[in-house]
Amino acid sequence: MAARPSSKRPARPAAPAPAGSPSARPLALVYVLGWLIPGGGHLWLGRTAKGAVFLVVLPLMFVIGLALEGRLFPFTPGEPLVALAAIANIGSGLPYFIAQAMGVGAGRAVAVTYEYGNAFLITAGLLNALVIIDAHDIALGRR
Amino acid sequence: MDTASHLLLMTLFAGCVAVVGGVLLKDTPRQQARSAAEIFGSLVGAALLLGWVLYFLPL
Repeated sequence: MAARPSSKRPARPAAPAPAGSPSARPLALVYVLGWLIPGGGHLWLGRTAKGAVFLVVLPLMFVIGLALEGRLFPFTPGEPLVALAAIANIGSGLPYFIAQAMGVGAGRAVAVTYEYGNAFLITAGLLNALVIIDAHDIALGRR
Repeated sequence: MDTASHLLLMTLFAGCVAVVGGVLLKDTPRQQARSAAEIFGSLVGAALLLGWVLYFLPL
């Protein structure tokens, strides 16, 4: 007679969901994690290598943007372009809120590198949005 | 960052975008590296080309 398997199994590390099969993890958590921590959604889904790259490169771009005296734009609905830039900035997640809490990101419009800084800051947020969409596809088993 | 040149910053920007783009678009490391190199080359090449075109335009 075969021994019955024990009901208490040792905890296993999260295995990546194979491509083509949807993940059992809640989508909302994937979105929130992916937004707050760049690459967090991928890490949560077990795509460690991809997540690690995003976790390093996107905050790095954000920090470079701040070092280049770029500005974290305030959300002003009266100025559509500024509002769009603000939405892109917020896309960076936790780095954005940490920078706001530290009082950095005021920007210096006369600095030579100001526009480069804005390009880095805005692009970091927009790329994080793409990363979240990729995590969404992985969670649904499309990739 | 006073010592940073426009070319250096543009290259750095292209490098960051290329790495994220390559990793996003492809699934194997080899494909990702190739894709990142293509994106990087396209960005830097297009910027240099546009730079030279604008050099001859009296703007």
